[in-house]
Amino acid sequence: MSLLDVQNLKVYFPVSRGPLRRAREHLKAVDEVSLSIEPGETLGLVGESGCGKTTLGRAILRLVQPTAGRILFEGEDLSRINGAALRARRRKLQIIFQDPYSSLNPRMRVGHIIGEALDIHRLAPDRAARQKRIRELLAAVGLEAAHADRYPHEFSGGQRQRIGIARALAVEPKLIVCDEPVSALDVSVQAQVVNLLRDLRQQRGIAYLFIAHDLAVVEHISHRVAVMYLGRIVELAGAKTLVREPMHPYTQALISAVPVIDPDAKRRRIVLPGDVPSPVHPPPGCPFHPRCPLAEDRCRTEAPAWRQVRPGHWAACHLAEIANRKS
Amino acid sequence: MSLLEIKNLTLDFTVTGARLRAVDDLSLSIEAGETLCLVGESGCGKSTAALAIAKLVPAPPARYSGGQILVNGRDVLQMANGDLRRLRGRMVSYVFQEPGASLNPVVRVGKQIKEALKLHRPEAATEDEVARLLKLVGIPAPEARARDYPHQLSGGMQQRVMLAMALAPQPQLLVADEPTTALDVTIQAQILELLRELKQRLGMSILLITHNLGVVGEIADRVAVMYAGQIVEVAPARELLQRPLHPYTKALMGSVPALGSEAPRLSTIPGNVPRLGNCPFGCRFQPRCSVARPDCATLVPSLAELEPGRLVRCPFGVGVSPAPFSATSASIPAETARIDPGAAPSNEPA
Repeated sequence: MSLLDVQNLKVYFPVSRGPLRRAREHLKAVDEVSLSIEPGETLGLVGESGCGKTTLGRAILRLVQPTAGRILFEGEDLSRINGAALRARRRKLQIIFQDPYSSLNPRMRVGHIIGEALDIHRLAPDRAARQKRIRELLAAVGLEAAHADRYPHEFSGGQRQRIGIARALAVEPKLIVCDEPVSALDVSVQAQVVNLLRDLRQQRGIAYLFIAHDLAVVEHISHRVAVMYLGRIVELAGAKTLVREPMHPYTQALISAVPVIDPDAKRRRIVLPGDVPSPVHPPPGCPFHPRCPLAEDRCRTEAPAWRQVRPGHWAACHLAEIANRKS
Repeated sequence: MSLLEIKNLTLDFTVTGARLRAVDDLSLSIEAGETLCLVGESGCGKSTAALAIAKLVPAPPARYSGGQILVNGRDVLQMANGDLRRLRGRMVSYVFQEPGASLNPVVRVGKQIKEALKLHRPEAATEDEVARLLKLVGIPAPEARARDYPHQLSGGMQQRVMLAMALAPQPQLLVADEPTTALDVTIQAQILELLRELKQRLGMSILLITHNLGVVGEIADRVAVMYAGQIVEVAPARELLQRPLHPYTKALMGSVPALGSEAPRLSTIPGNVPRLGNCPFGCRFQPRCSVARPDCATLVPSLAELEPGRLVRCPFGVGVSPAPFSATSASIPAETARIDPGAAPSNEPA
């Protein structure tokens, strides 16, 4: 059984229009998304801003209410439970946020930020045990015991992200949703945090849903990678396979956009025209067709099916085979 | 004559009585039509140095303690206010990291561009010129977009508007401070492509500030790497990326994850950039350096030309034949070297 099995998840937000706010439309932030994560596995989730990857991550933790679909965590549907039952399950699911500056309470000492998770789930029987656990957690993320008495503003961005990780680890979760955990950091510090997440996975067998827009980082840490566009997953494959043999033209464009250090690297540059269209009025047919270099008539009218093109390699594109040959 | 020549620029901030050196003896030049990338981690002084070019770092709290900034041979630091106003915009123009924070949210973007025109090229302050500029930066339907407010545009479009505004006065030097850091990789690729194209078409010079060496490979002619207020390496982009000489440059390159690499771990640089006023003695990078030797903590390395066009501040750099330390250029003032690390707030403008 998978640790997490998301089935046909939809998250729609109502949008009111018109003078009397009568015309109601829906912004389809997440539309018919299915994915699974095995214990100890890292699933990468990439896509541009506004593609719904953060909403999907939050919906899995029930931080936003899903409109439809099922979120099976260890076989239990999280979308149907509430209150105390949900709180108990949340111990197994944690999240690390993008901005290490706004996700830590500036008026709480680091020890209290980490200890609060222990208090809520009653994981420390007494003060001494609580202090000991906080020290252990700080050591696990590469900080010192003395840091427990400091405030967040005394730390650099990378250190703050470590505090966020320690807070997530406090309750011994089985799955951590990492929502752009390194996007706000310098490349040198980014590498430190990525390595830390990798080590923790090895030591503790934690599974990650690793959300980011930088495909190079995602490929580095993930076992499998899902690519999201306008609320839908358009391609899913093993990390190395996805980068070497992308099937979807959107994935190919994302790969070609990653800046390359080597000045002699020969590659095809695909600069996508325009921006991501509005998710309130997604284009008909394949939602990527207005920006797709391969689009043909069928793509403008007929939505492509989600199909397994090769074993373990899924894509939603009429032309996946052709695109793959061109890459 | 170079378009821009910075000679031995030193810039201090005075914070609660302590003097903090943000830019230390920085020398740099940009030729007409050249793209120079200034690279370094947050807090290394690269933004401060870039703002200083048009004397935009407010003094006080800053103090331009020494050196010259020559734009077309004239020293910016000696200019009267009227000359400075003419310099800003017409000679040197800026684009910043967060387009959303740089645009006025309650003024239509067309009007904001027109404002820049009125200031610098009053004869050209027309709707047609605004549309032409918007078209130049690749905005479709420029007449319609000129009537939009900033929040109606995406991040990439907002950055294009900022670019149009910076190009309105027809500057000779465009300073772009992390122009793509807040953007998605796909949009980053669009903006870099646009900058390359604009440089060719308009023949201007670009100073691009970034912390990502991946961006350097895409656009730079020459690169200067900065660490803790000092330049540690200058080289033509291609040569630097193929064969970095300073251990810091090498470490920075190693920390960029490469697509399709088999390495199980990313190489990292341990620790953080030292805080201002708390730089280690000797080589400032030595506590984080993987090839540091005992001498590195006691002797101050100088920026030496090891090969034609290649300056390096490290006598033991990767594959470099040993060059002597210069014991005389101890450039950290004694009073700032002793400041308590906890008491010195970082005052690097973001």
